[in-house]
Amino acid sequence: MLVAWRYRKRKSFIQSFDPRAWLIFYACTLVVTLFFWDLRFLLVLLGLAVFVLVTSGVTWKEMRRAFLFIIGFIVFFAFLTFLTGRGGTEVYRQEHLLVEFRAPFSLFGWTPVLKVTLERIFFAASQFARIFGIAIMTILIPYSLDPALYGVTFRGLGLPDKIAYAMDLTMRFIPTFGRDFQLTRDAQRARGYELEKIRGGLIEQVRKLGPLIVPVTIHAIIGSEDIIDAMDLRAFGVGPRTWLEQLTYRTRDRLLIAFGLLLLVAALTLMFLGYGGFWVPESLIRAVGG
Amino acid sequence: MTADLPLVVEDLSFRYRDRAEAAIRGLSFEAHPGEILLIAGASGCGKTTLIRAINGLIPRSYKGEVSGRILLFGQDPAGWPLARISQLVGTVLQDPERQILGTKVLNEVAFGLENLGLPRDEILRRADAALDYLNIASLRLRETYNLSGGEKQKVALAGVLAMRPKILLLDEPLASLDPASASETLGMVRRLADEGMTVLMVEHRVEDVLGIRPERVMFMSEGEIRYLGPLDGLERAVDYREVKLPAEVVIRRAKADPPPPPPTILPGVERRDDEPLVRFENVAFGYEAGTEVLHGINLDIRRGDVIAVLGPNGAGKTTFVKHAIGLLKPGAGRVLVNGRDTRQASVAEIAGTLGYVFQSPSHMLFAPTVYEELAFGPRNLGHPKEQIEKEVKEALQIVNLSDKEKDPPLALSFGQQKRVSIAAILAMRSRILVMDEPTAGQDYQNYMNFMDSILQMPGFEAILFITHDVDLAVIYANRVLLMAEGRLVADGSPQEVLRDVHRLEACRLVPTSLLAANLKRLEHTGRFLRAEALAHVSSF
Repeated sequence: MLVAWRYRKRKSFIQSFDPRAWLIFYACTLVVTLFFWDLRFLLVLLGLAVFVLVTSGVTWKEMRRAFLFIIGFIVFFAFLTFLTGRGGTEVYRQEHLLVEFRAPFSLFGWTPVLKVTLERIFFAASQFARIFGIAIMTILIPYSLDPALYGVTFRGLGLPDKIAYAMDLTMRFIPTFGRDFQLTRDAQRARGYELEKIRGGLIEQVRKLGPLIVPVTIHAIIGSEDIIDAMDLRAFGVGPRTWLEQLTYRTRDRLLIAFGLLLLVAALTLMFLGYGGFWVPESLIRAVGG
Repeated sequence: MTADLPLVVEDLSFRYRDRAEAAIRGLSFEAHPGEILLIAGASGCGKTTLIRAINGLIPRSYKGEVSGRILLFGQDPAGWPLARISQLVGTVLQDPERQILGTKVLNEVAFGLENLGLPRDEILRRADAALDYLNIASLRLRETYNLSGGEKQKVALAGVLAMRPKILLLDEPLASLDPASASETLGMVRRLADEGMTVLMVEHRVEDVLGIRPERVMFMSEGEIRYLGPLDGLERAVDYREVKLPAEVVIRRAKADPPPPPPTILPGVERRDDEPLVRFENVAFGYEAGTEVLHGINLDIRRGDVIAVLGPNGAGKTTFVKHAIGLLKPGAGRVLVNGRDTRQASVAEIAGTLGYVFQSPSHMLFAPTVYEELAFGPRNLGHPKEQIEKEVKEALQIVNLSDKEKDPPLALSFGQQKRVSIAAILAMRSRILVMDEPTAGQDYQNYMNFMDSILQMPGFEAILFITHDVDLAVIYANRVLLMAEGRLVADGSPQEVLRDVHRLEACRLVPTSLLAANLKRLEHTGRFLRAEALAHVSSF
């Protein structure tokens, strides 16, 4: 059986909109964020995401796990690019050195050097703002979108009946997969299997994951066969479908969509005019002596 | 004449594409309006295949070779789309978990009607009528995944009834329900038949269905009909070891047979009151802060205990036993296994002492052969190679699967998979065996056999199992725990705990005919016995 995300009805900014309107707005902000490398613009978008987060009514406890995971992930990668200096080289050519750390040792004649440059700092900050903004907006969706409305939302966005229902099932499949994974891990631990003790080469390690991967995969396949049978037995896909739930756009929803589209057009225009690229304040560059 | 009958099956055979043998052979029968036709038989007898042939999944979703025909109200549905069949034939699958699609109860009940493209107000009217009919209107806006097992079954039934079928197919509808929910469901089925619906119900626990007086019974074996007729004739036509018949019937019939050997339970283990194997001290637990599902559990599991844990769906039984193996750590209090706090030990370490069989086999089977599957646990525990070989062979013998050693477990039937999952734990030779619903989805003869074998297997010092089947507690347990709402309501010998019928009913358990037969004879026997043994109690 498919389980749902931890949605709850809340009095919040995000839930005051029609889910279709919110998804359109979400898509616009996503695209806009991907256009920019300029930290000033990105901070505005991040501010918007933080506003939605703070007014979402989701408690820290509920979303702690998701956020800790994503923050860990972002910090790790932002830090990695910062250390290596790679990743940013497409958006800046010149670097202004602030400090240079030299390791007090050499390995085979190579001395590790960490160059802290203005560009690397600003690139890491931009990257962080970008991904974090997107992450906040994305994490909030499962907490804020009523699972009972998934299907009709996608239908309302113009997808055909069958695909809209398939999207509905897919959205609910992810948490179901998580639950199955946990059950399998517990069942195998009860047979003395310890994930922590897996050793050996890469292939050996993957092989030793079999006790987890195989049941979860098989379960997913059997589960989907059951779902198909259950749908067939209740006449799914025979003709145009009535959706019991109804969605109606109100003024605020139209305003939200308009705002999203406006953002998108504005971003496109700015980009076209040459704004929005990677930015490091001139004053800082002068101060460093560039 | 047959043209008006809801269902006529003529010489029906079917072979699945990837199997060598036919699953059903030459079935012929008809079903009448207002009739409940009970279909009984061991797992693998072709019951489910017959259901699939009637509801149209065969040959549309399950391919193979069909011969013979089915007539619905005199018409051959062979060329019909499933949608047309589904308006005549409603199907409730064995496990409601596998059938429910909607996130909310109302969406679930409306699903079929939405697919038929009915107008919205018609959908609402029909969905609400189905909910009212089954007396579950209060669940209307609940989320389906938070419902109890019994509620899920009713919601799945409502979703089918809303489409107003003329024929209702029920595939072991009682398998996952506590006894009280099961009898409620049966009551509803009787009412539907009395109002004119044709009901085909697959169920091998014949005794449980007797209360609703099925008009006829069909007994299937190896794909063929072995008996079809009124209920009274079934008792003569089948072996009482194959189908669960009322205790008094078994007692009558078993008189002619030699008495069963006296039970040997946990051979070589004496019940002793020394150091407990497992100790629960004031254990409380909640999955989320603020909602406690276990409250103040105190108990010792001692050498020689065979414990049955009984209680309604959602009483906290699984949560309770998961603490014993350390999969869950108590929120308050502590659990000691072999004197060691489970907080200080990994699950894998505890697994050497305590073997735990999960409810669903599909969550653990992964290996290419049954042998490898069974060797996995002992290997993790570091047993030597020759010993593993011996352990695997013995475990396979106990669950009656020695011929399947080289088969891939995932290709076996559900009942066989369940037995593999039990054998996988048996092979680990833990000192304590814990089983969560070991008999669910098994046919009567099979589960009685492996329960007998497990209890006679040397090596275990204590056994604990969760069950909805009061008779398992009567026959096998020497101690019964009764749980309700996260509390231990009773803890004592089966004779003490199961004697109190009011308390049983308060815990949604229904006294069985075997329990009644035992209570009647308790003065003479001094303890509970299986029906075959009661047949030979001298004064009766």
